[in-house]
Amino acid sequence: MINYIIRRVLQTIPIILGVAFIVLVLFTKVGEDPVRMKLGNHATQEAIDELRAKWDLDKPLGTQYLIFLKQIVTFDYGESFNSGEQLSEMFAEGAYASLMLTLPPFFAGILMNLAIAVLIAFYRGSWIDRYSTFVFVAGMSISYMVYIMFFQYFLAYELGWFPINGFEPGLNAIPYLILPWIIFMIVYSGPQIRLFRTVFLDETKADYVRTAFAKGCSPARVMFVHIMRNALIPILTYTVIEIPNLLLGAFLIERFFSIPGTGDILISGVNNGDFPIIKGLTVLLAISFTLCNMLIDILYAYVDPRVQLDG
Amino acid sequence: MKFQNRWLAFLCLLGSFAVQPGCTKKKVEESKVSSTGSAEAPLKIFYHYRRSEEKSLDPVKSFDEASRQHIRSLFDTLLEYNYLKRPYELAPLLLTKMPEKQADGVTYLFTLKQGVKFHDHAVFPEGNGREMTADDVIFSLKRFADANANRLSYTLIQGLVVGMDEFRELSKKQPQGFDYAKHEISGLKKLDNYRFTITFTRDSPLNFYPLAFEGTSVVPKEAVAKYGDDFDKNPVGTGAFYLKSYSRRGTTVLAKNPNYHGTYPTEGAPGDKEAGLLEAAGKKLPFVDEIHLPLIEETQPAMLKFKKGEVAWVAIGRDDYIAMVDRVPTTDGTKKFKLKPEYEKYALYYVPSLATNFMRFGMKDPVVGKNKALRQAIAYAMSADGFIELMMNGRGNRSESIVPNEIAGSTRETGSTWYTQNIEMAKKKLAEAGYPDGKGLPALTVEYRSAIKDQRQQYEFMRNELAKANIKLEGNFQSFSNFLKKTDEGNYQIADAGWNADYPDAENFYSLFYSKNKAPGPNTSNFENAQFDAAYEKARHMMNGPERYKLFAEMDAILKEEVPMILISNHYVMGVLQPNVRNFKRNLLEEYPYKYVDLAR
Repeated sequence: MINYIIRRVLQTIPIILGVAFIVLVLFTKVGEDPVRMKLGNHATQEAIDELRAKWDLDKPLGTQYLIFLKQIVTFDYGESFNSGEQLSEMFAEGAYASLMLTLPPFFAGILMNLAIAVLIAFYRGSWIDRYSTFVFVAGMSISYMVYIMFFQYFLAYELGWFPINGFEPGLNAIPYLILPWIIFMIVYSGPQIRLFRTVFLDETKADYVRTAFAKGCSPARVMFVHIMRNALIPILTYTVIEIPNLLLGAFLIERFFSIPGTGDILISGVNNGDFPIIKGLTVLLAISFTLCNMLIDILYAYVDPRVQLDG
Repeated sequence: MKFQNRWLAFLCLLGSFAVQPGCTKKKVEESKVSSTGSAEAPLKIFYHYRRSEEKSLDPVKSFDEASRQHIRSLFDTLLEYNYLKRPYELAPLLLTKMPEKQADGVTYLFTLKQGVKFHDHAVFPEGNGREMTADDVIFSLKRFADANANRLSYTLIQGLVVGMDEFRELSKKQPQGFDYAKHEISGLKKLDNYRFTITFTRDSPLNFYPLAFEGTSVVPKEAVAKYGDDFDKNPVGTGAFYLKSYSRRGTTVLAKNPNYHGTYPTEGAPGDKEAGLLEAAGKKLPFVDEIHLPLIEETQPAMLKFKKGEVAWVAIGRDDYIAMVDRVPTTDGTKKFKLKPEYEKYALYYVPSLATNFMRFGMKDPVVGKNKALRQAIAYAMSADGFIELMMNGRGNRSESIVPNEIAGSTRETGSTWYTQNIEMAKKKLAEAGYPDGKGLPALTVEYRSAIKDQRQQYEFMRNELAKANIKLEGNFQSFSNFLKKTDEGNYQIADAGWNADYPDAENFYSLFYSKNKAPGPNTSNFENAQFDAAYEKARHMMNGPERYKLFAEMDAILKEEVPMILISNHYVMGVLQPNVRNFKRNLLEEYPYKYVDLAR
């Protein structure tokens, strides 16, 4: 197991190097010029050159790449070009707000959607299955933005059930988060239920299901006990791989509901050409994805004894 | 049975969500009540919002609207723009009167108000704000000139004050520990605690505008010394409000400075008295206790909060304009607007902006830059009126000169006119340019600063208009910094352009075509005309009046003949206010008039 973990950690190094290189090239060649974004129309050439030098943007791409790698190793991305804030503080605050926004509805949603999916799978082919397929496919076809704008307008403004937007630290955030949570759960429910249903239906074709029926188990017991336990492996994969996305928040929700999460920080960073923000969040996301993938493999070994990590 | 139990559990789960909203509403209302003070002495809170994150609350490190939104309330400058009078004119703010010219004709005496105190703050002994003096003003002007502190806005004062440019050059040689006490600006002289003089390089009305610019706000040196780069997180000034709490991505709260020195203006523009804008004349500022400024970057939540009464003032964009505003038919060609009946309880304002929207020609380009008749053909082919109606829903006036109508020296004073669409003339000029019926003329590229819907629609409109005269266009939609780079290099044929007044003087707009300001300066057309330059240099430092306007008319005529641009519009700034907002007049140079506004109980 230890050997496996060491090998996987070492495998992340070329991935991070590649991600860093792509981010740097994309930013340098395609993105906004952060110096011009910072200094605006009245800047002299002298001021532009000076700031470019201060931010190491005048150096060759290779040197900039080495500086970037050093930042990755030391986890010190410095300050935001735009505001001068320490990125570590910004990311910590952003991650707190983003996780407040995404964690509760994500896990509550998974439990709820699992329950719905297993019911739909249990009654496959019935009117429940057909009707829910129609509803969830229709729901998935609607843009995220439409849900946000409609619910904000209808539930918060017209009906006045929720605050229109805002955020406060701690438990005071809850009143502001309930509507975003509902939207988050609704947006994710369609794809999750469709995925989980498919997983359950795939399992129904497995040999152990026939064996369970042969032993005289009821359809409900087969579905809710035997199939559900075995279906947890792909569901676990889905759940763990989504964790980095939770850290990044849901930027459209964050923007419309004024939740100061990492998604909103990233969008502002892209708009302002704030390279340290883009660099820091992209690499952190890449590291999170790699670690989560490793975590999935390790969890597989525990959930399914047939999986041999060192094999 | 098991199945039914699971359904019940699921319904309970859904039910638990349905119960939540009631609790939510109560909690929100409670928190709002507590934030507005006790029943006996409720606080007056002006709820507004920020549309983007500010770059810095340090006056010398900011040059953006979001920062200005705070800085104009936290700090004071020597001069300000009269809140009510139009056209815009300077008025004393930290001074007792406007600067007085001395015998040499270039030195001015500045007399400070006595008893103006900095905010109470831990940086001062016992936390009590000390009195602001001439030393603070001189320190702040030195800091504005210090290249290590101010990278953004020094060009606004460059060349105006004797010895200031030299001071800046010295500061560049000492990136660390540049000591202001050891280096003087020869044009700044302290006479006593309340009086000082500034000697300018020449006498000019332009000398005073930088003294109303927020970058020259007066700051206490002990706070700058203590906090250094973190001064922006601990701003201490003499402004009408102090920073009560700060959250860059949350809600920032500004609270009333009880010791503020300012009073509400006693004079206004015609109609202000009838509009109730002089009822508070002479009263001590500010009137509201707190300003709450959450960050709301999207227009929908801002407008919904306004309609719910949670925001006092909101700007109206294109979509909200269609939903909320009607045009009032007029016979004299003026533009009038009113709110639709369902929104009549609110107050609508609309004022012409201090900006001109136009398209530039790249004069270095071998096709358009060297062919005056071609540029004239394009000017004849473009319909500014059509653009304003279709692209702006009529929310603007056609520009007849580069100077917006609200600034002295515009077409009101000069009588200048610009091209009106005439396709026959366009075709004639095109033939004169060597391209009869457009034959042989390659498609011309128009540079745009982004790829957003508005820019693409504007391009489609222009492409369609010019096609009527057989002129083909191609749009190049790019990032803003790439656009700036391209225009700075003068490497383009036609580019989207616009200029918002840095200060309310026509010179600011004519400088866009002065040959010594060629790219990367503001003359990114790289226009060069000796006659224009001569008139500009002559008019530049003159006081407004018939003689200066005559020179402006001369420059307008040259621009019309040489066509380094295509003039389009001067748009309206529009918004709505809650019915209880008092003393609000949209002042485009004092954009956030928090210290003047009041709320009716």
